[in-house]
Amino acid sequence: MVEYRIDRRTGVATYLQIVQQTKQALRLGLLEPGDKLPTAREVVAATAINPNTVLKAYRELEREGLVEARRGLGTFVRKSLGAAPADSPFGAELADWADRARAAGLERDDVAALFNSVLDTHFKGDQG
Amino acid sequence: MSDTAMAAAGLGKRFGRRKGWALRECAFRLPAGRVCAVVGPNGAGKSTLLAHAAGLLRPTEGTLTVLGTSPAAARERMAYVAQDKPLHPQLTVAETLRWGREMNPRRWDRAVAERVVADGALDLDAKIRVLSGGQRTRVALALALGKRPELLLLDEPMADLDPLARHELMGTLMADAAEHGTTVVMSSHVVAELEGSCDHVLLIGSGRVRLAGPLDDLLTAHTLVTGPAADLDGHTVIESRTTGRQTTALIRPGGRLAGTWQRTTPTLEELVLAHLRSPEAPSLHLDSDDADDPAEPVEAAV
Amino acid sequence: MTATTALAPPARRGALRPSGLTWALLRVHRSALWFWLLYVAVTAGVILWTYGPGANAAMDELARSGCRDSVMPDLGCDTLGPHGARWDAGVGLGSALLTVAPILIAAWAGASLIGRELEDGTARLAWTQSVTPARWLAAKLAVPAVLIVAGILPLTLLHRAMWAATPELRQDSWNWYDTGIFELHGTLATAYALLGLALGALVGMIVRRSLPALGIALVGTGIVLRLFQNLRPHLWPAETRKSATGFDDIGNMWVGRGSYTSTGARLPDLFCDGKASCVARNDVAGVYLDYHPASHFWPLQLVETGILLALAAAAVLVAFALLKRRSGAAA
Repeated sequence: MVEYRIDRRTGVATYLQIVQQTKQALRLGLLEPGDKLPTAREVVAATAINPNTVLKAYRELEREGLVEARRGLGTFVRKSLGAAPADSPFGAELADWADRARAAGLERDDVAALFNSVLDTHFKGDQG
Repeated sequence: MSDTAMAAAGLGKRFGRRKGWALRECAFRLPAGRVCAVVGPNGAGKSTLLAHAAGLLRPTEGTLTVLGTSPAAARERMAYVAQDKPLHPQLTVAETLRWGREMNPRRWDRAVAERVVADGALDLDAKIRVLSGGQRTRVALALALGKRPELLLLDEPMADLDPLARHELMGTLMADAAEHGTTVVMSSHVVAELEGSCDHVLLIGSGRVRLAGPLDDLLTAHTLVTGPAADLDGHTVIESRTTGRQTTALIRPGGRLAGTWQRTTPTLEELVLAHLRSPEAPSLHLDSDDADDPAEPVEAAV
Repeated sequence: MTATTALAPPARRGALRPSGLTWALLRVHRSALWFWLLYVAVTAGVILWTYGPGANAAMDELARSGCRDSVMPDLGCDTLGPHGARWDAGVGLGSALLTVAPILIAAWAGASLIGRELEDGTARLAWTQSVTPARWLAAKLAVPAVLIVAGILPLTLLHRAMWAATPELRQDSWNWYDTGIFELHGTLATAYALLGLALGALVGMIVRRSLPALGIALVGTGIVLRLFQNLRPHLWPAETRKSATGFDDIGNMWVGRGSYTSTGARLPDLFCDGKASCVARNDVAGVYLDYHPASHFWPLQLVETGILLALAAAAVLVAFALLKRRSGAAA
């Protein structure tokens, strides 16, 4: 089960935050096929956002084929995203790399900038 | 069920002949199933509008219909929470809920009312007079939601609440709207409190409707532009400020924007403030496009 | 969409258990209800005492004193013994309790029943539930009215029984036409209490605030009570008796008396006091007396009751008209 954190200050539309956080959870393996997403009622009771926003986000996820709404039962994950759960070898390699960067004296911001620039060159055209 | 929760035509209200108009020439339509924010400064006429909808005031001119009929005829199908949350102080919380049941014998949903109270961990045997402001608001809300209203009218529901109580109560409210498809109309002079919760906006200034429509449509109908001072002809300028060579303006684009403007979509707060600072700016009414509206939003997800 | 489908049917309740608006009303005004029950119980207790034990003790005392059968005037018999005095005080207390009841009811109706609810917004809370403001006000008047009648009518009957059983004790200290006795022997006590309710409610609707309503209702009802005490003898045609010498009339309600001339014209007040020169100069033929005999009890009682109930009805009508204004379109 995921729990959504809505940040009103980012300027990112609320429904997009839900979409992104769901995808993040799918990528990290926190959500797997067959898992149930929280109901709109549960989400809005915790976040106090408009119910239609949650529904809009779920419809977006459904259109991308990531989840499916089963009438009267709820919204369920159809497929997972990416092949990089947190405990995959890539994760371990990245952690290893981060350790070395830190030992070499890089600051957190340096690492983030470096990582983002690599992302930008290697995944040009893809969107997050 | 009517798909219009509330509609006004030429609505005007004057208290006494000598006083000015509290509301004037108000016209708007609110589709059912929305969470509508009625915003505007204190004294703008928000409470007057809600009291009309609740059937507590008679319009001086024009009409206001709720749920497709007159407010008096819709009494059973709507609930109203006044700004000061009146409750009988000598009753306990449990007795107040019983009072709600006895006053609404055909509609009362005990489970809903009790859940709202239980969510706030309220002592059922506590007298209303010893409750804090937030607890009182919660009981008033339980009374309103227990009626299972199709239309819920809330006048400044979150005033005098601490941030935690605000968030909790708004969550309770949104959950109910999610579950039952209740149309919620709430007024507030704190705009930030409503952003994220509402999807429809009614901005009232000096008794007139300045903005009315779906929130997203209203936001996209406006653009916040920044750039070297230049001509904005062809666009409706709501507010414009020039500092040195730079101009910042909120406009309703009337076509392609020429020049080297940096543009962003305004936030609700920026939109509201700009309109309130410029009382002479033309008002904007956008009717919602119901086709895009989720007709049966809630069952699918609950 | 789903709002009307999944609702539980109203719970079934026993026929005698109050429900709906009546329950709400009784619960909100529970302390007033208890107070009224206590008030009626205390008043009933007082009257019962003057009917039973108090009267018995006084009668025993009277029998022991020998005043009862004595033919000769005895100065000692003019004053009451301690038991007689206690009985007398009991009668006075019972009648006082019943006399002030309308004033208390008016004050409560103005302040608590109507005024406070308009002041603190709970009236608007009620009007936005499933009941119309008109039904709200109707219940606010009907439920107390039923309780008032149910409380005062039995007290009236009790007082009548006490009165009939103790003619010897009252002698000439209490008369059927005395204020505080006359009202309790018929329909008037109930009519006054209902008028108090109606006036209080009207005052509450007008001033819309608790404390001022209390004061105005209290004073207003007091004035009405006082007014009718003065008006009472004129509500039914009086009988007249004439005499050349004067009267010593006991047992009748006096309306007025004065002198009259040989032509029958009435002179205000008593003239001359028997002085011959004065009598001759003013052509005084004798003294007249307008009065109500005891047989006028019911006509007087019913005419006054009718006027009071008409006033109460008028007050209620105005209150409903005001309600329509106060509650906006909701009425």
